[in-house]
Amino acid sequence: MRGFVVQRVPSVSGRVRNAAYAVSALVAVFVAGLLLAALGLHPLALGGSVLKQSLGSRFGVQDLLLLASPLVMCGLSVSLMLRVGLWNIGADGQFYVGAACAAGVALFGPHGSPLLVQITMGLAAMAGGALWIAVPALARLLLGTSEIIATLLLNFVARLGLDWLVTGPWRDPHGMAAAQTARIPDPLPKLPRDWHLGGLHWGLAVVLGLAALLAAAFRFTRWGFELRICGANRDTAAYAGMNVRRRLFQAMLLGGAIAGLGGMLELSGTVHRLQSGLSNGYGYVGIIVAVLAASSPLGCVFTGLLMALVLNAGLVLQTQGVPSSAALALTGLILLFAAIGERLAHYRIVPTRPVAGAGGVA
Amino acid sequence: MSVVSGLLSNALVSGAVLALAGLGELLAERVGVLNLGVEGLMALGAMSAVAAVSGTHDPAVGVLAALATGAAAGSLFAFATVVARASQVLCGMALTMGGMGLAATLGRPFAGQPSAATFPVLPIPLLDRLPVLGDALFRQSLPVYVAFLILPLFLHWLLFRTRHGLALRAIGENPAACDAVGMKVLPLRFAYVVLGAAISAGAGAYLTLGFVPSWSDGVTAGRGWIAVALVIFAGYRPWRIVAGALLFGFVGALGYLAQARDWGIPSAFLGMLPYLVTLLFMMLPALTGRGRVAAPAALGVAYYRDQR
Repeated sequence: MRGFVVQRVPSVSGRVRNAAYAVSALVAVFVAGLLLAALGLHPLALGGSVLKQSLGSRFGVQDLLLLASPLVMCGLSVSLMLRVGLWNIGADGQFYVGAACAAGVALFGPHGSPLLVQITMGLAAMAGGALWIAVPALARLLLGTSEIIATLLLNFVARLGLDWLVTGPWRDPHGMAAAQTARIPDPLPKLPRDWHLGGLHWGLAVVLGLAALLAAAFRFTRWGFELRICGANRDTAAYAGMNVRRRLFQAMLLGGAIAGLGGMLELSGTVHRLQSGLSNGYGYVGIIVAVLAASSPLGCVFTGLLMALVLNAGLVLQTQGVPSSAALALTGLILLFAAIGERLAHYRIVPTRPVAGAGGVA
Repeated sequence: MSVVSGLLSNALVSGAVLALAGLGELLAERVGVLNLGVEGLMALGAMSAVAAVSGTHDPAVGVLAALATGAAAGSLFAFATVVARASQVLCGMALTMGGMGLAATLGRPFAGQPSAATFPVLPIPLLDRLPVLGDALFRQSLPVYVAFLILPLFLHWLLFRTRHGLALRAIGENPAACDAVGMKVLPLRFAYVVLGAAISAGAGAYLTLGFVPSWSDGVTAGRGWIAVALVIFAGYRPWRIVAGALLFGFVGALGYLAQARDWGIPSAFLGMLPYLVTLLFMMLPALTGRGRVAAPAALGVAYYRDQR
């Protein structure tokens, strides 16, 4: 007879952790399916139609990619700050401010060459996003104020500010809708037609390029290395002569800028006008994207697609009479299970009786 | 009602939501668990209270439903953070998203309708006839008295005047030492996280049966997060939480007044006030040089016996 004990190990490999996240997400979807079955729906059929709508046609895939783009951008923003051990719960607000800055440039700025306009919009959005996180960042680094709550509170401020803009001074004077601006004159161009991705715009390339750039920066540059050390152990980083506070500040500003750029891409590429509810909670979903990706930039691309699929499930549920907010509940469930699963992966089962000698008299 | 009296009354009513939510959060944080799910708990409580009164027309049933829902969701959160020891930040975010999503989904039949029952006004005899203050302070419903007097009084007594409270505070500071002298660290943490979650959900019940009073998606409007911030800058003390809640209630009430009297400030900016004032107050202790507020030392840290 062999006994077993459950042992806790202090740290696990990336592979084990990723597997734990994958299993947790699957379990969360399974539990959600059970809940839907309890409501009298058919979860398997629903799941099938989600997959069919999202992946079964070229349109579906295009929509999925369009939905995933802002999620990946917010995920990159959150993951960059997670790398240095800080939480960005305010990606939603930075996204809004970025979009608003870009819209301001597009609607009221000079009309130059389209490329120049896009670049100006992008820079304005990044500046806006960085500015939006600057106060929480300074409060965190100089005063020790919790960046979690500070960044989050500004989401509400940003949302109210955007609502004011689109219903007040920037409201479309000729439009019928109450809460949107006019269409921006030069939106982001679509991808070339012979790539057979007709509905997609160049923002997608920006998203992928940025993810690759960040991954490379973390792996190959001194700056990225210092960020990683600052996240792993701030005392070690300071002892090694790194300017920890400056690195943290840079990471926070850049995180805000990335979320802001996400807002610009959504505005200029997909929606083409500023409107209230431009971000459908993308900043919050971005947290899950970053966590499931274990804050790896390239992983964010993958988990962003995954979460886009989950949000699509909300749309499919809506056709079945379940409010689309059910998708929000599902994202919460996935996050909860992922957090638990990550911990459970730290346990292993080992036999109690040591194997005697090399011969193994078991 | 005079302007002052109306302002004060409104401040009490909207402050009561924050006070209840904050006092619930205080219990969890004092035993060392950071519960960032207050917003979700409030949404769940608010929705289940409205759902319960729609059938029974009794606000007491609504409160019980909210407390039970909060305790159930709190148990899930406590299982994740105390037993499985998962990241408290992540589980809190998950509770917020899941709670808001679930409340919006299940609460859709009731959305936008006035609540079927609300808390009756409970005037305090004699005191309610005081000029100015009488109307504002002593003509409120029961939850307001609970939020501003009964619950903080009880929690202050519990935390600072009883041996049990000493144990609770010690668990938030140094669970290993508590474990060594035989206190039940994990069961106590679990119990008080659940109790706190129930109270926070009760704040949601007061929101939809007293303050607003109706359920709609997003009715909590970040009040749960303001409550979390409130606990921090109140230095984890019940009476200061209540005072802070009154202050925030006052800021909110000023916004309503400005809107009603049309002072020419767009309502969006007035709506921003509570969040901005919260942000300012979070920074204030450090700005005024009083240093960082002493949080429970083990706040947010999972306890493992083998890591002592």
